[in-house]
Amino acid sequence: MDRYQFEDLISEYIENELSLSKRKEFESYLENNPDALELVNAIRLNIEKAGTLPKIKTSSKFNDRLLNRIKLETDDRKSRLPIKGLIFGFTPIHASMMTGLLIAFVFINIQLFKPSLDMIDSKNLYTTNEELTDPVPNPSLNIQDFHKTHLADTQDDSMLTDSVNRSKKDFSKKIQFVND
Amino acid sequence: MSLDKQHSTFVYTDEQLIGRFQSGDEGAYIELVNRYKDRLINFVYQFLGDIEQAEDVVQDTMLKLYEKKHYYREIAKFSTWIYTIARNLANTELRKRKRRKTTYLSRMTREEREYEIPAVQPNLDQNLQNEFIRERIQEAIKKLPEHSKSVIILRDIQELSYDDISNIVGVPLGTVKSRINRARLQLQAELQDLK
Repeated sequence: MDRYQFEDLISEYIENELSLSKRKEFESYLENNPDALELVNAIRLNIEKAGTLPKIKTSSKFNDRLLNRIKLETDDRKSRLPIKGLIFGFTPIHASMMTGLLIAFVFINIQLFKPSLDMIDSKNLYTTNEELTDPVPNPSLNIQDFHKTHLADTQDDSMLTDSVNRSKKDFSKKIQFVND
Repeated sequence: MSLDKQHSTFVYTDEQLIGRFQSGDEGAYIELVNRYKDRLINFVYQFLGDIEQAEDVVQDTMLKLYEKKHYYREIAKFSTWIYTIARNLANTELRKRKRRKTTYLSRMTREEREYEIPAVQPNLDQNLQNEFIRERIQEAIKKLPEHSKSVIILRDIQELSYDDISNIVGVPLGTVKSRINRARLQLQAELQDLK
């Protein structure tokens, strides 16, 4: 056994983990090397002393501090959890109120900006005669056909008849004056 | 939940206790805290050398145990699991300390302050001499490399088995044995002047 082998086996020798043959070999090395024996004894003593190092105890407030920390952590985690039953961050009552308001807002806007025929100037819907006298030159169509095909000049124009009928309507019976 | 009142009312093993705690029994948690708080502070203190910081790390360990109870699986011993958590947190604390690189004198422990180490005086009485030797051993342990320090603390101070140490530090059994042997030789080299 050389010095390296001896050093590798010190712990196993101290802890009685060597086989019988190895142990004998180790002890014969110790007999022949007093410095090796001294080293083994010193290490054994160090182990004993390390085992008797003063034991530290946690402070008396350790448990209270731990409980407080657990409580704080638990509360903190609860506050970070999303509250159940919320709809986009609103409670059901607030969510339904907000939805109602939104629907009402949309409805009112539609009513306010709805396009009305009465508000459109009907004169602008007709093409002027000047424009009609200048048709696009097309050899396949003569001017008569063009006039016939132009919807503005047909008698079926509902807008024209509407405006004519409207002008002919007699409201005399419907209008009543209140006598003072 | 009171930690002290329910002290030592259980006769369960650690593994049974953590099982009960996982099922919602907070009394089992209390018992585990009471069983391990002192063992862990002794373990962590050897790394940090500061009692207050060691207690903070043990608090963090216990808090982690509370929050991550479901992470424990009964494939390993509970002691191995809790020591591993404490060791990782102590290492994190050590890394933070190194990054800060600032040492406040007021926060230094008695052992950290520089002072002349007197030779062993023959006229000191036995108790005083033992106290001195223990201080020297603690100092020598602190000087060990990180991987040697862990195993020597776990083996010679905490008196854990080689198997447990192997699980805690996450290295094979043979490596643990050789590291412990080397650490003991290094320790002896540091303590050569003690006769």
